[in-house]
Amino acid sequence: MVNIGLKDVWYRYTGSSSWSLKGVSIIIQNGETVLVTGHNGSGKTTMLKIASLIYRPSSGAVLVDGKDFWVLRESERTSVRRSIVYVHEKPVLLRGSVLSNVAYGLAIRGVSSGEAVKKCREVLEELGIWELHRSSPHKLSAGQAQLMAVARALVLDPEALFLDEPFAHLDSEKREILVNTLIGRQRQGVSIVISSHQVGYLGKLSVNKTVTLENGVVMRAREKREKGESNS
Amino acid sequence: MRVLSGEVIDTVLRSLYVSGVATMLSLTWSVPASYILALRQRTGLVEALLETLVGMPTVLLGLLLYFLFSSSGPLAPLRLLYTPQAMIVGEAILVTPLIISTSHRLLRNAITTYSELALSLGAGRDQAMTLILRETSPGIIASAVMGFSRAVGELGIAMMVGGNISGYTRVATTAIALGVSRGEFEEALVLGLMLLAIMLVVAVALKSLSRVYVKW
Repeated sequence: MVNIGLKDVWYRYTGSSSWSLKGVSIIIQNGETVLVTGHNGSGKTTMLKIASLIYRPSSGAVLVDGKDFWVLRESERTSVRRSIVYVHEKPVLLRGSVLSNVAYGLAIRGVSSGEAVKKCREVLEELGIWELHRSSPHKLSAGQAQLMAVARALVLDPEALFLDEPFAHLDSEKREILVNTLIGRQRQGVSIVISSHQVGYLGKLSVNKTVTLENGVVMRAREKREKGESNS
Repeated sequence: MRVLSGEVIDTVLRSLYVSGVATMLSLTWSVPASYILALRQRTGLVEALLETLVGMPTVLLGLLLYFLFSSSGPLAPLRLLYTPQAMIVGEAILVTPLIISTSHRLLRNAITTYSELALSLGAGRDQAMTLILRETSPGIIASAVMGFSRAVGELGIAMMVGGNISGYTRVATTAIALGVSRGEFEEALVLGLMLLAIMLVVAVALKSLSRVYVKW
């Protein structure tokens, strides 16, 4: 299990004169589910990419189990990253089939193809898209592609899962499938961080903490949202 | 048919060999250079220089290489003048700006997208680079095909550092130029059409190859 903390994190994109994040500090505890809300351009995606160890902050620290991630050696960083997975809002599609896309993370971990196919099948069936496994990802609908991207993350059995607007392209049926899948991962103790400006989509998913961003600043960090609590 | 003599076929095959090897040689430095360029910010000046060099007259490059390889030039000890090797080196240099200027743009877009994905799924730096190159390979192959076409179609380098020696450095373009100067238009036309047809086959084959992907 993994604890992730952002400590006074500032971030500015290359070539930009303005800060996307301004002194953000949050803690994501083991097994916690965190909802990050805010308007478009508030810094949600940037914060998720920093917390999921993709972007290096311009200043401040990212602590993983108390260790400053960005002072670790490259090999140690890769090892830490393997327990934390980020799913893009707009799925990145690789060449090949849906199955080879989903299996990519397993392949780079050296998992045998037989084992990888078995694991991918489990997750694709859970998400209701196994029948698409031979299709080209470029022929999927936006919702199917989103579920494929989630499957690509889930097959890795991450300890922390970051989902950027995961419900954006999903219809109500697929949304429910995804929510149920995430509830299953919550029960297994996986930390889940979801950015969404449509909190109503979360349905039965319980949230331990809600972080509201505005212009790169944490405006509000509210603990505990009980199951079934009104979201709107 | 006289125009399809062994010499004509030999000349066409030599054209393909010289230009194919030159393109592959160029890829060995053009792809890494494109990758490095794609990683850098503020590359406007380099890009402008590359775009200028794309249109460099082949006779000018041929002349510069002639000076280098000639008996009074600094590379004279290599004894490359009037050899297929000199033509390969010249054509490899010729196609380099074209391959870099087309490849680095697609690599620049791909680096952001695929390196983020690779990192987000736990890839190391080398694995991320492999993914980027794998995903951009159809584009890089397309650049290589353009480079190959440019090399096959050039005349200046082949003439100046190859010397159009029959059975040794004569390639399709120099043979066509010679045929026209002798008034042998039929042979020149057949050579040109054969070359065009072969280039089309090569381009289609490479394009098909780039789509091949091992599926689970």
